Amino acid sequence: MLEVNNIDVYHGDLQALWDVSLKVEEGELVSLIGANGAGKTTAVETISGLHTPASGTVIFNGVRLDKEPTHKVVELGVCLIPEEKGIFPGMSVLENLELGAFTSESRKARGETFEAVYRLFPVLEERKKQVAGTLSGGEQQMLAIGRALMAKPKLLMCDEPSLGLAPLIVKSIFEVIKQINKSGVGILLVEQNVRAALGLAQRAYIIENGRVSGHGDAKSLLDDEKVRDAYLGTG
Amino acid sequence: MTFGLVAQTFVNGINIGAMYGLIAVGLSLTFGVMKILNVAHGEFLMVGGYMAFWLFTLFDIDPLLGLPLIGIALFLLGAICYKLLFSGLARFHEETKVKNTLLVSFGLFLIFPQVARWLWTGDERAITPVYSGESFPILGVRCGYVPLAGLLVAVVVILALHLLLTKTYFGKSIRATTENWKSAKLMGINVDRTYLITFALGAALAGLAGVLVGMTQSVAPDMGMQWTLKALIVLVLAGIGSIGGAFFAGLILGVVEAVSANLPYIGPYTVALGLVIFLLILMLRPQGLFGKEG
Repeated sequence: MLEVNNIDVYHGDLQALWDVSLKVEEGELVSLIGANGAGKTTAVETISGLHTPASGTVIFNGVRLDKEPTHKVVELGVCLIPEEKGIFPGMSVLENLELGAFTSESRKARGETFEAVYRLFPVLEERKKQVAGTLSGGEQQMLAIGRALMAKPKLLMCDEPSLGLAPLIVKSIFEVIKQINKSGVGILLVEQNVRAALGLAQRAYIIENGRVSGHGDAKSLLDDEKVRDAYLGTG
Repeated sequence: MTFGLVAQTFVNGINIGAMYGLIAVGLSLTFGVMKILNVAHGEFLMVGGYMAFWLFTLFDIDPLLGLPLIGIALFLLGAICYKLLFSGLARFHEETKVKNTLLVSFGLFLIFPQVARWLWTGDERAITPVYSGESFPILGVRCGYVPLAGLLVAVVVILALHLLLTKTYFGKSIRATTENWKSAKLMGINVDRTYLITFALGAALAGLAGVLVGMTQSVAPDMGMQWTLKALIVLVLAGIGSIGGAFFAGLILGVVEAVSANLPYIGPYTVALGLVIFLLILMLRPQGLFGKEG
């Protein structure tokens, strides 16, 4: 479904990604793991069209994404929940969700998607009149996920959904991501919480200093000695 | 002061304040959404005023009836200016963007008056339909038809803008872009197009205000900066990004100026008083009267 082929990405003069390739198949849950500053966020932002790769291609269901602006990428069904969640703090929960269904196709179906999102996160319906900036961190993450679902994505990319949240809430967020995946949405999950990410994903890529240093089955990566040494601290 | 004078001063202040509000709302929109401080905002107002003057003298079209036409014309002019001059700067980082767009709009501020002088000469022009000097009394206060029409136009336009921003998908996309442009892009909003339309909308609002200024005072090629400054004072008074706030701050400035003009000693310094308010607000309440903290 998604194919990233050998992309090089620069931030100004600084190269952030070298020759990165990865794949997400239909309905798959793939995780992108690595240390802070390794280039995970740059990778998903490039797929979303926020950066243009200097070389290489990004292909989604046969369409080249790497030359398209972000709003076209969203129209094609690729959504990103950014690391800082990116909710609109001064607008109501309801308005945030409405904006999630901005593309014309998702706008038509928004009655049903509203119901589905409220079923997934009943708290959002209770607080739909509330200004989004006053929600708790966990609720904001739920809003960010709910808002992304309003766009009816085919591929959902989550950048560090566990960041700054209490362990109990992280667990329920991961549970929701698993459910979304089960409903047929492909997921690319960026995580520093390597153990949780590998527990959830079917496959994973490891990014180190802007390069893909390894990939494979999530289970086998969990048992891999090098991965355990570097990320799980169980040496 | 007698009651009559006080009331008259208030009415005059509210009338001119509504114009201040209308001008400031346009500036607030472009600054809030794009972080472009359009120093040439007053030039769009000047162009609007001259267009009304042309429509009135050449085609005998009443300036109030010409408002929609002028709104559309200024919208297009704003869109062209944005596309040619500003759109290339939109992708820069905020600091670079603020500096460069400031330079470009200063350029516009220099060019527009020259073109106006060439088209309309340097004379002051006023738009004077037959009813322009007439007024009617309420409770001993004279209320001019033209200032009253100006007040109504300003209120209607600002209400319409408020409804656009809060009730329509497009308006919500403007507010979303103001709050977080990156996130707005990730919603599928074409942020470049939002910028273009917002800038054009700001120009259109300035043009409408220009018609009102032309009817109540006069238009001249160099009038722009004076109104840009007024709009800036109102903007700082209101706080960035508050549409209703900008309107009320405009009313406040109008009334304060009108009242102070009648006071002994302060009277001659009315214009400076606005700038004193500007400084005081920046020092004591930098987020403005109606702005959110932080």
